[in-house]
Amino acid sequence: MGLDLSVNLGKLKLQNPVLVASGTFGYAKEFERFFDLKQLGGIVTKTLTLKPRIGNPPQRVHETPSGMLNAIGLQNVGVEVFIKDKLPYLSRLGIPLIASVMGYSVDEFVKVVEALNDHKGIDGFELNLSCPNVEYSNAHEEPMDRPAKMFAHDESMILNVVNSVRQATDKTVIAKLGPDVSDVGKMALAAQKGGADAVSLINTFIAMSLDIKTQKPVLKNITGGLSGPCIRPIAVRMVWEVARAVKIPVIGMGGIMNANDVLEFMIAGAACVQVGTANFINPTACPQILSDLKSYMKQAKINTLSKVVGTVKGVK
Amino acid sequence: MSRPFRNTMKIKQQDLKVLSNKKIAPGHYVIELESEVLCKAAPGQFVQILTDHDQDPLLPRPFSFLDTGKKTLRILYQVVGKGTRLMSLKTPGSALRILGPLGNGFSMSWKRTPSNIVVIGGGVGIPPLYHLVKTFVEKPSLGIKKDQIHVFLGARTKDFLHCEQDLKKLGVHLNVATDDGSKGHQGVVTELADKFLSSTKQIEVMIYACGPTPMLKSSSVLAREHGVRCELSVEEPMPCGFGACLGCAVKIKDGKGYRFAMSCTEGPVFQADEILWD
Repeated sequence: MGLDLSVNLGKLKLQNPVLVASGTFGYAKEFERFFDLKQLGGIVTKTLTLKPRIGNPPQRVHETPSGMLNAIGLQNVGVEVFIKDKLPYLSRLGIPLIASVMGYSVDEFVKVVEALNDHKGIDGFELNLSCPNVEYSNAHEEPMDRPAKMFAHDESMILNVVNSVRQATDKTVIAKLGPDVSDVGKMALAAQKGGADAVSLINTFIAMSLDIKTQKPVLKNITGGLSGPCIRPIAVRMVWEVARAVKIPVIGMGGIMNANDVLEFMIAGAACVQVGTANFINPTACPQILSDLKSYMKQAKINTLSKVVGTVKGVK
Repeated sequence: MSRPFRNTMKIKQQDLKVLSNKKIAPGHYVIELESEVLCKAAPGQFVQILTDHDQDPLLPRPFSFLDTGKKTLRILYQVVGKGTRLMSLKTPGSALRILGPLGNGFSMSWKRTPSNIVVIGGGVGIPPLYHLVKTFVEKPSLGIKKDQIHVFLGARTKDFLHCEQDLKKLGVHLNVATDDGSKGHQGVVTELADKFLSSTKQIEVMIYACGPTPMLKSSSVLAREHGVRCELSVEEPMPCGFGACLGCAVKIKDGKGYRFAMSCTEGPVFQADEILWD
């Protein structure tokens, strides 16, 4: 009997649970030289904004113990160029394509989604509610609905933005949650209430490194987002909390490096996962993970991988 | 204007066999690896080396080539952190995970062949320039005679004037400077290059520079003041090396404004006059 790795995510059916995380896979073409991209469960694009963004000045990245701090600043080509130059290639791959989107206001989120919604090849949207690197607050001349902090930090803002995007599209809507909150379960419930088909978590942690010689922050942006294996245990805990709180599928991520890490997230309750930082270190991390997942299934005599989801034992 | 050598080779990640790994100066080593494919890489290109598979250090680090043979390549490196310390412990017969070749190398063909080549290198920035000079000397078809090559090396102290003896053997003009005066001119190496550029009547000079940022900035200034062409190889923290992470940003001119170019895919060799220094 064949191995079934498929996953249902809202209206989307994925051939396997291994997606690539936003901002870690370029616009996919960067990876075509390394492996057949059709093997992936899906691709989440670099976050798209209404207008192009040139990104933050260097230094943008810094290695920390088993982790990486980044403040890229959402450098991206903007929706218009994306549709013209990047989407034709991505849609030809024939695997589910999730556009990661971000706006500085609810209205702008909706505009980005509307600009992309009718284009063939886009199967869903992941709302980047938690990019830590962009100035959200600019008190004067800002409309009232422009949040003074991240959307991801406030239940009512999550509810509002998810609900507004929900009205604008019939495609799969995923709310990507940030980790810098005291109760991530509540944030996930707000996304569910707003009509999200799934939640993905976690985005990077807001973090900081200092150079003790200069006494200045290492990153020009002062703070950055922390990713990599060092955040994995916290990510697993949050996925477990959220999976208990909501009925919609949970997409887990945070420092996944290999198949064992994928299984850990699935046991904690993730229906599928996103691989991020690992793509930088080993561009063939995803096909390796898929191959190892299949070996595991054969060895553990599991025909349907989704049966592993939420099987955590020894907890009430 | 000349354009740096563009990378058209297939990029692969593979485990390469370590043939030797020797200390050449305090804290500095030369490692020799076996790879037929990477030997075709051009001077100024680089590889990403992952020294550990246990997630600490997590990211690979970029290294340029010291030189390439038929089936072996050499890399000169300084022990700076945990990764390079682990690298220094690699013994012959062990393996090292390498991704490459990456990036674009120095120009080696021009519309107007330079009358003089000026090479300015500092510390661990010297190896890719030695690779370049060696290539010029070994390939007469490139149209540069060794008498036309003027090398300027700088270092903190004489121990770190890498490749000095090898460059002497190649028979090119060589000038050295050290911060502490332990060898050659006491001071920065760009002072020596400035003197040479002021004395030469040749105008078709091409400068190649690689080293610490202040040295690269001074080299750009020299090129502008003397009205000559100049290529710089920059070093930025670089998680992936192939254009995915957008980490290794360099501020460059873009029309009337600026943009951030990725040093891994658009560099690491840039025209000096495109870079905007802070």
